[in-house]
Formats: sequence, C-alpha cells, structure tokens
Amino acid sequence: MRRRDFLRAAVAGGIGASLGSPAFLRRSWAQSGPIKIGMPAALSGAYAQYGIQAKRAAELFSKDIKAKGVLGRPVEFIYEDTAGDPATAVRKAQKLVEKDGVKFLTGVALSSEALAVSAKCPEWKVIFMSTINGAGALTAKAFHRYFFRVNTSGPMGARAISLYLAEGPMKRFFALGSDYAWGRDSVASFTTQITAAKKDIVGTDYPPVGTKDFASYIAKIRQSKADGVYLALPGQDATIYLKQAHQFGLNREVKPIMEILELENMKAVGDAMVGAIGSSRYPFTVDTPRNKDFVKRFYELHGVYPDMFDGETYEGLEWLAQVIQKAGTDDVEKVIDTWEDSSYEGLEGPFFMRKCDHQAVQLGFAVEAVKDPKYPHPIPKILATYPGEKVTPKCRTEDFS
Amino acid sequence: MANLGEQLLNALTLAGLLFLVSAGLSLVFGILRVVNFAHGVFYMLGAYLGYTTVTLTGWFWPALLIVPPVVGALGAFLESSTLRFIYRRPPIYQLLLTFGLALILEEALRILYGPTAKGIDPPAYLQGAISLGSLLYPRYRLFVVVLSLVVAVGVWVFLRKTRAGLVIRAVAQNSEMADCLGADVARVRTLVFGAACALAGLGGVAAAPMTTAYLGMGIGVIVDAFVVVVIGGLGSMGGSIAGSLIVGAAQTWGAFYLPETAMVIMYAVMGAILIFRPWGLFGEEE
Repeated sequence: MRRRDFLRAAVAGGIGASLGSPAFLRRSWAQSGPIKIGMPAALSGAYAQYGIQAKRAAELFSKDIKAKGVLGRPVEFIYEDTAGDPATAVRKAQKLVEKDGVKFLTGVALSSEALAVSAKCPEWKVIFMSTINGAGALTAKAFHRYFFRVNTSGPMGARAISLYLAEGPMKRFFALGSDYAWGRDSVASFTTQITAAKKDIVGTDYPPVGTKDFASYIAKIRQSKADGVYLALPGQDATIYLKQAHQFGLNREVKPIMEILELENMKAVGDAMVGAIGSSRYPFTVDTPRNKDFVKRFYELHGVYPDMFDGETYEGLEWLAQVIQKAGTDDVEKVIDTWEDSSYEGLEGPFFMRKCDHQAVQLGFAVEAVKDPKYPHPIPKILATYPGEKVTPKCRTEDFS
Repeated sequence: MANLGEQLLNALTLAGLLFLVSAGLSLVFGILRVVNFAHGVFYMLGAYLGYTTVTLTGWFWPALLIVPPVVGALGAFLESSTLRFIYRRPPIYQLLLTFGLALILEEALRILYGPTAKGIDPPAYLQGAISLGSLLYPRYRLFVVVLSLVVAVGVWVFLRKTRAGLVIRAVAQNSEMADCLGADVARVRTLVFGAACALAGLGGVAAAPMTTAYLGMGIGVIVDAFVVVVIGGLGSMGGSIAGSLIVGAAQTWGAFYLPETAMVIMYAVMGAILIFRPWGLFGEEE
C-alpha cells in the first residue's frame, strides 16, 4: 500500500463511516396494537451517556406502565443508535417513522440532532418530544406545532443560575461554551442576563466539541482574573475541563459555574468537583414524596442514582402517556390539542405546557456539588429554587422580561 | 514571558501524547503497509485498563508498567489471528478489518465499563501545580512531557542502534528482500504491531489522569494522529516527532491566539504540506 492509497483509503473510510443504508420508503401506520415510541438516541460514541439516560428512564417507565398500558394498549419503545450524529439521527428517525410507524419521537440527545430531526417532523406528522435538548431556538426560531419541550432549556438554565449570581458577591465572569447550538445559545443568554444584573463578562470562548486539552483556555481564564467561569460544555468536555482546571489549580481561583451540573461529571471528576455551582434541570435530591419514590425505584432497577435526563425523560414519558389517555386516542393532531395548555405534576413540582411555544414551564434550580458520606460521589445540593414564571423566556423567544 | 512559557509547555504536553499514538500508527504503516483504524482504540483501551489497574492496586505506577505490555499482547494476538491473512489483499480489506476491530473493541469497553467516564488521579507527588518562576504549571503535565521524550529517544535508539531495529528497518524498506536474507518477516510484523499497540496503550495510561478514560477518546485521537503522520511522513519516526510538535502547537496556540479558527489551522498546515511536499516532511518520495 503506497502513500496515495493511504490517503484514498483514509478518505474512503471517512465517507464509509458517515454514510449508511438508504432510508426505508415504505409507510405502515399502525391503527391499533401497541403505542410505539421511537428513541433515536446516542447510545454509542462520545455522547452515549445521554442516550443511555433516556433509555434507562424509558426502561423504568415501561415497567411502571406495563400493568395498565395507555388506552388499554401496551407501550412499546423502539431504540435506534444515532452515535450523536445529526445526519444519522435523521436517518434513524425516518426509519422509525416510516418503517416502524411510530408517532412519537423522543430521547434525542444533542441539540444539533434535535434541530435536524425536529425540522422533519411537520412533514412526517409525528410529535417530537424533547426531554434533553437545550438549544433555545427549538422553541423560538425553529418552533413548529409538532415540537414539545418538556425539559428546562439552555436559556432557562442560564436564567436560573444568573438569578442566583445576581444576588451573589462575584462580579467578573468568563464564559466558555461548546462550539455548537446549545453552547453558543447558553453563553449568549448568560451574557445578556449577567450584564443586565450589572456584572461583567471579561471574556468568551467557544472550544470545539470534543476538545481534549483545555490548557489554552485555562490560561486565558486565569489571565482574565474572573471570579467565576460559566461553562456550557456537554458531558465529557465538562469532565475534562474540570479535571484539568483542577490540576492547574484554577478551580480555587475561578469558581466553575456549570450551565448543567450533572451527576455524570460528579462521578468522573470526583472530589475535585466539590464547590462547583450551576443550574440543574432535575436534581435527584429534590425533597418531594413523588421524587423520593422515583429515586428509590430507579436505584432498585439500575443500581445508580438518576441523573438530570433520567428524571426529565421519565417525566416527559409519563406526561405524554397521560395526555394520550386524556385525548382518548393516539392521533397526533388530537394529542397536540390536548397537550397544549395542560398541566402535569412532575417529580420535582408542577409543569405547564404553554400553547404558544410548547415550552414546559417548570421550576428552576441553582445547585452546588457537595460531598455527602451517604453517596459514592458528590451530589447536587439545592441552593435556590425559582418559580416557573421567573425562569421561562417570553413566548417563542430566548429573552426574559 | 510566563505566558509564552506556559503556551510552550501546553504545546509540548499535547505533542507528547500525540507522539505516543502517532509513532505506532506510523511504524505499523512503515512495516505492515496497513492503515490501522483500530489504533486509537488501543489508546482508549490503555486508558481504561489503566483505570482498572489503579483501582485494583491503588497505585499509578503499576498501570504505567503493566498496561502497555497487556495492550501490546492483545495487539500482537489480533495481528497474528486476523490481519496476517490479508496482507496480500487490496488495502480496502485491511481498512475494513481494522475499522471493524475498532468498533468491536469500543463497544466491548462500553459494555464492560458503562457510559460514565473513569477518572484516575496521578500519584500524590505529581498532583497539583509547581511554580516555575512566575508560572504555575501542573506537575503531571511536566511528567507527560518527560515521559514522551524518554520514549521518543528510546524508540529512536532502538531502531537505529540495535540489531532488532536494523531488521525492522530492513523489512520496512523491502520486506521480500529481507525475507530472502533470513529475516522472519511474519514475526517482525507481529512484534511491531504489538509494540505499536503497546505505545498507544502507554499513551492512554498517560492521558487518563488529564482527560479521564472515556468512550470516544480513541476516535478523537486517531484523527489527530492521522494528521500527524500525514504531515510528518508515513513510516518515519522523525516525522512523527515533527508532526506531533506541529499539530500540538497548532492546536494549543490556535486555541489561545485565534480561537475562532483553531480547528482550521491544523488542517490548513496539513493542506499546505500536502501541496508542497505530498510525501510529508520526513517521508520519502515515491
């Protein structure tokens, strides 16, 4: 094999990895039989932890709903692995819709995937239920009738932590967001809100997704003499940043403020993470009877404590099932009409689905990673809880009044 | 000044890790004429086995000593049980095989370890930062620089100054002639493949305290490693060193001085080299 062959082979390998089988073109709408929910989730690759959370939640929900079903019909989940790639996600979603006949798609992990898949849903006439995706655009610029977001969005998380910081002593902030929809959205939202609170943004950077060495960014953050660094980095990137910032001794000088404070990070980073603050879309430590019961049953089934998207996906599925039950049919248009302006009692508190942009209004949390001898890893301690109206943006925007 | 020094050290750390991965990739291509897509997975395997060893023994050093030979042995086994039979086939066979091996190993690790990243702490006296003049720099990163330097010198001395190195270079130059002269080419190939995997495994153990062991770390590193060998020249050890330094510098300095274009810089450098020296900086023109 000569050099030219090497290049050719490398290119061929790259193309081979990004292409796949052609889409299925058959349509087969199921009228009765099980209610099928399609999950084109990232189950392998760098973002597998998110897809796996969605799947874990679905497994517990399956178990819970098994006895009574929905409309007397069983609920069936069909999982497809997207590996976190938007093009693959669209292809897998299309397969779920056209071949398996699902009317509901959920469990999509990344915002980039969600934007791609959601754009197809009006054409497919299926509901896209986001339980993970943070990009503000999904309920603003990219909003359409078939999209519902049960989870707290990125701007909402940024809002919750900004409200908390507005009252705190820190003055100067550096913002570090992953270079894709969610990271950039969150940084923009944080910047607007923190400057409105008369605090300063002293630097902003967008490292590429999958950065393995944050040393250059750490040097810049240290130079900026910020009091805190706002981080909108997805799972693994956040873990690597926190680990390296700890080794550079930066976490002591500049407090890490996470757009999402995840258990996954706390497990991987360990004690070096204690003291980090952030927003949480679902902290498993919420003290409500419903949540305590959920955490207990989740732990019994999976042997781990539920992370943010375990909780939010479970809530989404439970709410969707209630809506279908109330609509008396799984007809997509009727389900949408029933879901709009409806309420649901979630694990951590009340939810309300706004008709205007299908964003679920819900509590916002500011949390801190703390050590607790009862748990094998740091856990989120709730610092402040904000009512839904305070942390939800104006309709179809990413702005807060 | 402190700033420049820090940037230099950052580039050297990254270059060191890249060298440990790309050296093996380059070596395997030089001797076996195979583009090993599974190479990054051996790096990931090193990181995960490093985590297991540290968890079991409570020490970091055994991981550094035990893991590379284990990863190397697995590599040698895979070479002799699969790759060996398709050297004479068109390159696409080797590509598919190594790509398949990469997927199998990655999924196996996911099943074994689960989706959560596994963190390792460096040994106590390599934790925290040390002050170099006005600069505060993590001890462990300095260790990574030294480690990769030692390995680079070691590999170079081995290839240039020992009889085994001579045989390897002979096989690289003309395997049929070397075969005629009595070199056991099949054995050389297996050993070189194993050694390359061991180097990648060592890189993985060294990287784990900085990046944790996580799924997808193999794919991430293999792209950079390919860029390194294309810049440096396939099959050339000097090329791997030069390529690692260039890519390490392009990534860290790019991220610091021109953050919006950091990703582009590395590929722009590669593109420029492909135009003016298509065989790479240290490669040989064909």
